[in-house]
Amino acid sequence: MNIVVLLKQVPDTTEVKINPETGTLIRAGVPSIINPYDHFALEAALELKKKHDFKVTVISMGPPQAKSVVQLAMALGADEGVLLSDMAFAGSDTWATAYALAKAVKKVGKADIVLCGMQAIDGDTAQTGPGVAQQLGMPQITFCEHVDVDGRRVIAKKQIDGGYEVLEARPPVVITMIMTKDYAPKYPSFTAVHASLRKPFHVWSAADVGAEPQYLGLKGSPTQVNKIYPPPQREKASMFAGSGQENAEKILELMRREHFLGE
Amino acid sequence: MASIDAISRGLMLDSLREYAKRRIPFDLIRELDEKNEFPAEILKEMYDPEILGVHLLMIPEEYGGVSGGAYDIYRVCEALARIDLGIATGVFATFLGTDPLNVGGTSEQKEKWLRRIASERLLVAYAATEADAGSDLINLRTRAEHVVKNGKIAGYRINGNKQWISNGGVADMYTVLAMAPGGPCWFIVEKGMEGFSPNKHEDKHGIRLSNTAGLSLDNVYVPAENLIGLEEGKGLLQAQAVFGYTRLMVAAFGLGAGCEALEQAVRYSQQRIQGGSPLSDKQGYTHKLIVPNAVRLEAARAYIEESANRLDAGEHGLQTEGAIAKYSASEAGNRAAEDAIQALGGYGYTKDFPVEKIKRDVKITCIYEGTSEVLEMTIYRGRWQEHLKSRGRYYLEQADKLDELHARNPAVGAHASALALRALGAVMEECRLQKLTRHQHVTFKLGKLIAAVESAACFSRAAAADRYSESVRFDKQAWQAMARIFAREAALSIATEGLALVLGAVDTAGTLADAVNLDAVQAEQKGLISDMDLVALKLKQTFKAK
Repeated sequence: MNIVVLLKQVPDTTEVKINPETGTLIRAGVPSIINPYDHFALEAALELKKKHDFKVTVISMGPPQAKSVVQLAMALGADEGVLLSDMAFAGSDTWATAYALAKAVKKVGKADIVLCGMQAIDGDTAQTGPGVAQQLGMPQITFCEHVDVDGRRVIAKKQIDGGYEVLEARPPVVITMIMTKDYAPKYPSFTAVHASLRKPFHVWSAADVGAEPQYLGLKGSPTQVNKIYPPPQREKASMFAGSGQENAEKILELMRREHFLGE
Repeated sequence: MASIDAISRGLMLDSLREYAKRRIPFDLIRELDEKNEFPAEILKEMYDPEILGVHLLMIPEEYGGVSGGAYDIYRVCEALARIDLGIATGVFATFLGTDPLNVGGTSEQKEKWLRRIASERLLVAYAATEADAGSDLINLRTRAEHVVKNGKIAGYRINGNKQWISNGGVADMYTVLAMAPGGPCWFIVEKGMEGFSPNKHEDKHGIRLSNTAGLSLDNVYVPAENLIGLEEGKGLLQAQAVFGYTRLMVAAFGLGAGCEALEQAVRYSQQRIQGGSPLSDKQGYTHKLIVPNAVRLEAARAYIEESANRLDAGEHGLQTEGAIAKYSASEAGNRAAEDAIQALGGYGYTKDFPVEKIKRDVKITCIYEGTSEVLEMTIYRGRWQEHLKSRGRYYLEQADKLDELHARNPAVGAHASALALRALGAVMEECRLQKLTRHQHVTFKLGKLIAAVESAACFSRAAAADRYSESVRFDKQAWQAMARIFAREAALSIATEGLALVLGAVDTAGTLADAVNLDAVQAEQKGLISDMDLVALKLKQTFKAK
């Protein structure tokens, strides 16, 4: 089988600050990392490769420096890497991104399983994976914590409220992964990084994948970001240390004082 | 050696940091520090090509390494120092021990030994120092005598003692400096050779996670093929040839340890409220304990990077540059760690906070690979020659270039750097005219002033670049303000201390008072406080409280 993994390079959100005056993100000096959910998807793909000797191709869309996540994946064991990079992609929303990624998956060739994280930590939309499935006309299994293959059956363990369900699909299928203990993200050795430079790596433009300009970038995006702002700071919590009875009385008193309860 | 591409280097650094985060938490480091214990297993993992393979940086690709250049090595050394300077020293000892082979080994020797170091994860030690031979290796006592068989030199018998050898008690392989009949040479000695034994592990002030031990060589027989380069008498040249590189590595250690301490102080200062506002908002705190350290460390960074890039571009030697880089960065790192303890107050003085350990650790960077005082002498000697050779034009020509830079970019302190360079040229010329270099104090002090002034010029150049190197965590506004602050300080130092130095030795300083242009230097101080305010603010934004 052939597996394609979709990866996104994101700012390390633990380091991002928001300019309180303009409401924009301060990106200077903030390191870029692989979207953690995608890292789990990649590890899932590499496990399958190890077990069944599948071929793993990774695709990322982004500026030239996003090559970093593609090379990371190759250093960890992916066979081939693609970076979709073109000014025409700039400003794409999840729909336009899914369109471009689907075009790239088609160009890669026969994909039996397309794996990606359930969402990216910068946008948190969880739309791109399902969007790619829709564009490719493939079934999708989202929020998976484990994926395996038995013959021509793809078996995925999907997280649901209060438990999980095990689903089966015939390839091709798109699977989005959550962060799970089954796949701990790994980091490559210096040797593996060095060796990854010899693996096939391609940079494709919109024209290379046959993406039409009217469906790309800001003008091809049905959604536009109107404003980004930090959530208002929560007020400090009041902590009570005492017996259950004492604390219950204190909480009741506080609720009365703050007019949560009728007189 | 060509540098590794930026993306690969970034991935290697990420892997190193992730490994440290997972495997070497502060609690473990603290425990090992307390027990004075070398983490052998961690070093073996760090050398494992499947896990990290950090030692492969020093080994050329054809022998199974990854062919790191000076810039790559500086970046990795800085990252190692931020983790733990003892562990960093263990890795460094392998780098250092590999160096004589890299520089002087025959291709067969490289094929055999470098390949073994790469694939067998060999810990290496560099054994040069003796009780009476540190930087002055000429006093070497360890002897290597010929063992002749069938009229040919079949091997050597080595006798002597080595002292303070990093990895001394734990290495698998040693490069040992000894005096052979044809002069000093490097020999490869393997662990377990008959007559070869390490002494006890030293109980040190800092870098307690690194193993340091003396070595006894009692009639140790090594085959002739273990003589590096197969030619006697090249040992000191081979040792000298690597200083450009190895001192940059220690410079990176000082920088990394200092930056780590500074960062912790900046984060702490935003949480500690005193008199109704955080310490980070108080000039009395930031402008004394924080900002000057950030400025000195970034100036050292600029100098290390310029030297590393020159080495990677194929320049050789650069002994004086290596000395300036190491001297400035290790002194800056040591001071930053000292001030970080002060900045954390009582907390900083306890072992619960890493700055206490960083301070004990970083001191070694002012001692090993040439003490700060030996480096002051090296710097003075190197540049005194240039001053004489150029008939006093050496610094004046550089000053002209900095004036040109100032005309193009007035925001990087290039004018102050130019004033500093001219004043330095004038002080050196006065020292020549009045024959003041007969006083050792004058020469060492000149070494110190040269390092400061050249660093200022370098920082101005670096801050004027269109794009900064990947290691700079500050924006243009902040880095340029730092360059201005550093240049002002350097100009003031050379003008006042240089003049005082001459007047301390002789009755009159001739026209030196005019030549150092103190009025102009003082006028350059304008804007200092607002620049410091800006840097304090940027530091706070860059290293937020956690």
